[in-house]
Amino acid sequence: MNLIRFRSFIFFCLLSLSIFAKADDILIKNATVVTSSDLGVINETDILIQDGIISKIGLDISSESAFIIEASGRIITPGLLAPATNLGLIEIELEADTRDDRTKHFSAGFSISSAFNPSSTLIPYNRTAGITSAVVFPSSGKGDLFQGLGSVFKTHGRIDTQPIVTDIAMVMQMGGGQDSRASTFLELEDAVMKAKQFKRSRNLILRGGFFDTGEYSERDLEALSDLMDQNKPLIVKTNRASDMLRIIEFSKKHSINIIFHGAKEAWRIADQLAEVNIPVIIDPMDNIPSSFDSIGARIDAASLLTDSGVNVLIGIADAHNSFLSRQGAGNAVANGMDRYEALKSLTINVAEAFGLADSIGSIEVGKNADLVLWDGDPLEVGTFSDVVIINGEIMSDMTRSKRLRDRYLEVIGLK
Amino acid sequence: MILKFKYSFLITGALFIFCGTFNVQSQINEKELINYAYESTYKPVESDKTIIINANILTGRGDSVLGGAILMENNKIIAIGEGIDTSDANIVDAEGKWVTPGIIDIHSHMGVYPAPSLRSNSDGNEATSPSTPHVWAEHSVWTQDPQYTLALKGGVTSFHVLVGSANLIGGRGVTLKNVRSRTVQGMKFPNAPYSLKMACGENPKRVYGGRNTEPQTRMGNVAGYRKEWIKAQTYQKRINEYSEKSDEAKEMIDSPTRNIGMETLVGVLEGDILVHMHCYRGEEMAVMLDVAKEFDYKINTFHHAVEAYKIADILAKNSVCAAVWADWWGFKHEAFDMVWENTAIIDQAENKTGCAIVHSDSALGIQRLNQEAAKALAAGQKAGLDLDRQRAIQWITLNPAKALGIGDQVGSIEPGKMADIVIWSDDPFSVYAKAEKVFIDGHLKFDINDPDSFERTDFDLGIIDPEGDRL
Repeated sequence: MNLIRFRSFIFFCLLSLSIFAKADDILIKNATVVTSSDLGVINETDILIQDGIISKIGLDISSESAFIIEASGRIITPGLLAPATNLGLIEIELEADTRDDRTKHFSAGFSISSAFNPSSTLIPYNRTAGITSAVVFPSSGKGDLFQGLGSVFKTHGRIDTQPIVTDIAMVMQMGGGQDSRASTFLELEDAVMKAKQFKRSRNLILRGGFFDTGEYSERDLEALSDLMDQNKPLIVKTNRASDMLRIIEFSKKHSINIIFHGAKEAWRIADQLAEVNIPVIIDPMDNIPSSFDSIGARIDAASLLTDSGVNVLIGIADAHNSFLSRQGAGNAVANGMDRYEALKSLTINVAEAFGLADSIGSIEVGKNADLVLWDGDPLEVGTFSDVVIINGEIMSDMTRSKRLRDRYLEVIGLK
Repeated sequence: MILKFKYSFLITGALFIFCGTFNVQSQINEKELINYAYESTYKPVESDKTIIINANILTGRGDSVLGGAILMENNKIIAIGEGIDTSDANIVDAEGKWVTPGIIDIHSHMGVYPAPSLRSNSDGNEATSPSTPHVWAEHSVWTQDPQYTLALKGGVTSFHVLVGSANLIGGRGVTLKNVRSRTVQGMKFPNAPYSLKMACGENPKRVYGGRNTEPQTRMGNVAGYRKEWIKAQTYQKRINEYSEKSDEAKEMIDSPTRNIGMETLVGVLEGDILVHMHCYRGEEMAVMLDVAKEFDYKINTFHHAVEAYKIADILAKNSVCAAVWADWWGFKHEAFDMVWENTAIIDQAENKTGCAIVHSDSALGIQRLNQEAAKALAAGQKAGLDLDRQRAIQWITLNPAKALGIGDQVGSIEPGKMADIVIWSDDPFSVYAKAEKVFIDGHLKFDINDPDSFERTDFDLGIIDPEGDRL
């Protein structure tokens, strides 16, 4: 029996079901449920999905009408969340026409929410590997300091995909430029002051009064002002420990909610980060001292951080392989991180850091039914997803890459 | 695949001639002198008699030995199997753990693109002309790159350092042992053949096309190789004609002026220097095979080869290896058609006669080539191909060794080979596995339980804290 063809057939059936019986309930039987919640791992459990929401978790759930997936003890996890990616903004890095992650016109206020391409080939590819939601950020804006605003998308790939949260956080970058980092801090301070003045002058501006926005657009200042008013996270890309300490001072002064990204030297100030409850987005595999700002890079950073009580989010810089955050988490475990904590760093920790935990990030009653059934240990490199469910719908497992595989297995005579 | 490399200084004629007064014998001596000038000076201290017992061995030959032993002495593997005499040997109990040959990365830029990445140490691409066969990667290598130690912790015992892919013809590569030395000569794999890096596709045409010079297209690329090979053939002919002249005749004329770039290309035409070619697209690789046919040289390995699966039968029939990633893709258009099964399809083509290699091209990837091979193996198995770990371990051991012309010395656990061996904490095809002990030439160069077991690079000393080491 040809395995691939058989699998394709099965999924075609599942897909048909999802098309024709979209609102159908789904009952997953006998799963090992890794909840990412305080309930930990629940063995031999059923999950009932109704109207796209997890409606029941427990033993011996029955349903007359639900489509049944027999998990036979396999592991089910929450859908994975990519905490900082260009997914949907970029098709081919070296082809500028396929990129929407950069602008020369805006800085802090550069919102990418309208650029997300739900038909990108990267989306089904990463979805079949477990990513069900992505916090999508721009990668460069006008000037060196701010890159702009990120939004959150699900990866079901529907043509009418809307962000589940628009402009959820702002991203900025420290260091690495030709200019002094001292100047970067001054610029940041000035931008915040300007945004505060802008906010105070809003009535004046509405009445047609003059306000000098300086090097920023009104949109940029509005975004900075919203950041402070709405307590949105400011993602600060930096690696040097001393930079992070300065940013902590800055965040205290202006009551700004910070998440560090990159943060190769974060382990050196883990206690300070834990004390102020600042999460970090890291790639646990990236232990290269690639610049003089990241001399302290090390392979066991994730474990050192979690041991100190820091909320760790695992994310991979490469949009094409955002799903390799799983391999990152596996490597973090190999280097001392608690296994359950590692799974949380791919799911609920991301949701909590971005304020999404009411709807996604864990398997709990009332949350969105974004789930992945795996054919093995989800942190293991040789593991594949068997079923991916988003908003209670079973997703197709087909990708362009698999189509190419199937064509050439035949051409080469291996099928 | 090229499995045989005749290492000899007696390349046809004399390539390295200074003046016309030497007789044939002295020309050869002169040539030996020049080669000697860049020879490896790596000579490991004789290692003690050591036996690894209770080992589950993936031999690298395609099979495994469960609960076996490996005896090493004087830098070499002496015996493998069961019932080996353990008297007067240091005993290392593997406690049933997996043991593999040292990992070999066929595509690395460590030393030429070291960490930290600085303008002043970015020495991997002589991107000043599309053809630079005269440059040698080893002349750029920084011996204090902290990335070597990280790779060692991933079980890497030898690696091939290539120049970058900006140029059609990039220059010579060098195979190094992962040992610390103050000199690059002290790291060079003794008697390993040289390689020549060539590049297809987008990189050369982007770099030079962007400057409005040739090549600007793929057809420009091919015209560029052909032009260079014609020059090389002409040079070869001139040298051969000169060396065939009688001593008297030689005294009458000036000797040809050495051209070190052409010497490298003639080395390829003579079969002594191995071609490693950066190439992504299927049809492009097929064209490169025709260029090689036109000028009668051999392409040893296509590197990156994201579309190798599309022509895996052609590669197998032509005995050309493909060195690939498990899943990198999409950074440029020629890397858009990636499939996870690439390695497996290359391997299985033409009745399993393909030569598949998993490479890193990355200081991150080189630290976990076992995981990259694991991903490729799992994808192949999932697609229903008949693969096992015994075969897959060859993708990162014996196959790269053979493709580097050192397959008779490393790449498998067999008597007579260099004692380059890794003991893993877990199944090496698991994400949780770590190299626990790494032996190079019989010496324990890394022990995960002993922070003093490995030698830090100069860079790592006192760089964060003057009192301590970086790692």
